[in-house]
Amino acid sequence: MIKVKNLYHSYNNDENYAVNDVNFEIEKGEIFGFLGPSGAGKSTTQNILVGLLQLQKGEVEVAGYDVKHIKDKMFNKIGMSFEQSNVYSKMSGIENLEFYRKLFDVKTRDPKELIKLVGLDGKENTKAGKYSKGMKHRLTFARSMINNPELWFLDEPTTGLDPSIAANIKDIIKQENEKGATVFLTTHNMYIADELCDRVAFIVDGKIRLIDSPKALKLKYGEKLVDVEYLKNGELIKEQLSTVAESEKARIVEVISNYDIQTMHTKEATLEEIFIKVTGRGLV
Amino acid sequence: MKLWHSFSKELILSSKSWYFYIELGMAIVLLVILVFVVPEDFDSKGKDYLYLDLPQVVQDRYMKNLLEEDLDTITEQVELEADNQIYSAKLYETKESKIYLLESREALDAISNSERVPVVHVRVNEDQQIVYTYYLQGYETRKLQNLLLVYHNRLAGHDVIEDYSNRIEVRRLYEDSAPLNDKENMIPVFLTFNGSLMSLFIIAAYIFLDKSEGIIKAYAITASSVWHYLLSKIGVIIVTSIMTSLIITIPIMGNQPNYPAMMLFLVTSGFFAASLGLLLTSFFKDIVEAFGAMYIVIVIMIMPEWLFSYWQTIDSKRHCPCKGASQNDKKNIHYIFTGYENQCKELHHLVHSCCTGYFCRPH
Repeated sequence: MIKVKNLYHSYNNDENYAVNDVNFEIEKGEIFGFLGPSGAGKSTTQNILVGLLQLQKGEVEVAGYDVKHIKDKMFNKIGMSFEQSNVYSKMSGIENLEFYRKLFDVKTRDPKELIKLVGLDGKENTKAGKYSKGMKHRLTFARSMINNPELWFLDEPTTGLDPSIAANIKDIIKQENEKGATVFLTTHNMYIADELCDRVAFIVDGKIRLIDSPKALKLKYGEKLVDVEYLKNGELIKEQLSTVAESEKARIVEVISNYDIQTMHTKEATLEEIFIKVTGRGLV
Repeated sequence: MKLWHSFSKELILSSKSWYFYIELGMAIVLLVILVFVVPEDFDSKGKDYLYLDLPQVVQDRYMKNLLEEDLDTITEQVELEADNQIYSAKLYETKESKIYLLESREALDAISNSERVPVVHVRVNEDQQIVYTYYLQGYETRKLQNLLLVYHNRLAGHDVIEDYSNRIEVRRLYEDSAPLNDKENMIPVFLTFNGSLMSLFIIAAYIFLDKSEGIIKAYAITASSVWHYLLSKIGVIIVTSIMTSLIITIPIMGNQPNYPAMMLFLVTSGFFAASLGLLLTSFFKDIVEAFGAMYIVIVIMIMPEWLFSYWQTIDSKRHCPCKGASQNDKKNIHYIFTGYENQCKELHHLVHSCCTGYFCRPH
C-alpha cells in the first residue's frame, strides 16, 4: 500500500535532512506504527506521503500512485486525521462532514453515523467552534473516515482524549482495520502502538533505526523474568524468577501452590524501554 | 460540482463572518455619504473678484453687460469677509462663474490676501484706455500668464484667439449620452475602493483564517483540486463585491448604467485584486506579517498617480517664477500683469476659464 525508497527531505534545501534515507513498505491491511520523539521526522514523512510536502528526493508510492505526480483521485483512497483539529469552526459538526463528503468521487459514509460512532450525537448541530478540544479532535477523526479510506493516516489519534473515549477510538481503528483499511499511525504513545500495530518503525533524527512487530521486539529485547510478591508467615516476600531456567520455573510453581500471592508481573519489556535501548533516546 | 459545493460552502461561511458584514456596512456608509453628503453639483464655478475703478458711465455699461448674462438677471448685494473686515460687493452669477464687483481697492487687496485668488483691478489711464491689472498669487502657470498677456494684446492676441476658437469644431460622439453629475461621478471611485481594495484585504483575511484553523491542510487531503478552493474564494469575493456595488449604484443611478459592462468591470477588478491577495497570503504566515507587503503593493499600485502628480508639479515649478522662494515669500509675491482691453464681457469668460483650468469658447 505504501512503498518508500531512499526518501530525503530538507526544509532548507541543504544537506541538513529532516528525513534522511528512509525506506519502508506497508502491506495492505496492516497497521503500521511510526514512532519517534518530537522533531524526529514523523510528521515530515507523513506530510510527504499525503502530498502536503513536496517530494524532493526518493521514491514514494502511496495507494498505487506515484507521489511525485499526485492526482486528485489518489485522495479518494486516503483519509487523514490530524493531530491538531482542523474543522470549520463556524459550521456545525454535521455541516463539516456534509461538506467534506461532497469533495470525494467515491461512495461516502453517512455523516450522522460517523457522528454517532465518535460519540458526538446530540452535538451534531452545535457549531464546531463551541466544541471542546476533545470533541473537535473526534470530529476531525470522524471526517478522516468519510470516504471509507483504504489507507488511513492517523496522527496522534488519542492525544488529549479521556481514557474511555481513547478506548473507543482504538476500537474504531481496530474495526476499520478488520474491514480492510491499512493504517499508518504516527504517535509517540508506545502503549497505543503496542496495542494496535502489526509492525512499528522507530525514527530518530530523520533516520529509521528499526522496523519490526511489537511482539518480536519484546521477545528480542525483553527479559524473561517474573516479579512475584507473596505472604509467608505474615511477612511480604519479593522474588524475581526466570521463566526459562528449569529450577526457577519449579520455584514459581511452588510459590503459587504454597503461598498467598499478592502481585505477580512478567518482566516483559515495554516498547518504550525497547525504544530507549535501541535509539538511546527517550520519547519526549 | 465540487467547485459549486466549495463555492456555496464559502458563501455560507462568509455570511457567518464579520468581514462580510463589514463590506456590506461599508457599502451602506458610502451610500449614505453619497445620498446625504455629496451634492449633485459641487460649486465648481470660478470666482472672479474685480474692482472697477472706472467712470460711472463705463461702470454702468459694464454692469449692464454682466446683468444680461446673469442667470436670474438680478444683481445680488453680498458681504464678503476678508482680513476680519466685511466688504460689500455686487454678485453676478453666470453659467460659468461668480463675479464679485468690489467697491474699493482696499477690498480688492484684502480679498487677494485672504482668499489667495487672482483679482483684477480695472481702471482708465491717461490715454483713456481701459487697463486690466491682474494680481496673481504665484501658483498660476506660465500658460495662464502668457494667455493673459496675449489676450490683452490687441494687435496679436484677442483676434487670433477668437478666430482660432471659432474654427474649433466640437462633435459629440455619443449623442444619447449625458454628462454625469458630481454625485454620480463619485460612484466609480467608491466601486473601485469597495470592489478592489477591500477584495485584496478580505480575501487575505479569509485565507489567513483558514490557515490558522488548519482548514487548508484538511482540504488538500480531499479529491478536490486546489484551484476549486481558490476559485471559490475568489467567487465569493466577486459576489460580495457585486452585491455591495449594487447597494451603492442602484439607489443613486437607477437603470441608467450599463450594468453588464459594470459587472465586467467588477469581475475583472475583483479577480485581479483577489488574485493579488492570494499571492500575498502564500508568502506569509498571518495577516500581521502580510500587512507590510500589502502596504508595498498598494504603494506600487498608486505609484503611477504619484508620478503623474510629480511631473505635473515639476512642470509647474519649471514655469513658476517663485521657484525656490519660501512659503512666506510666496505669500507676499504678487505677479502683476497689465493689459489693455475694452471688451470686458469676454474678459470675464477668459479669466474664469483660465482659472478653473478649462478652455471654453468665449461667447
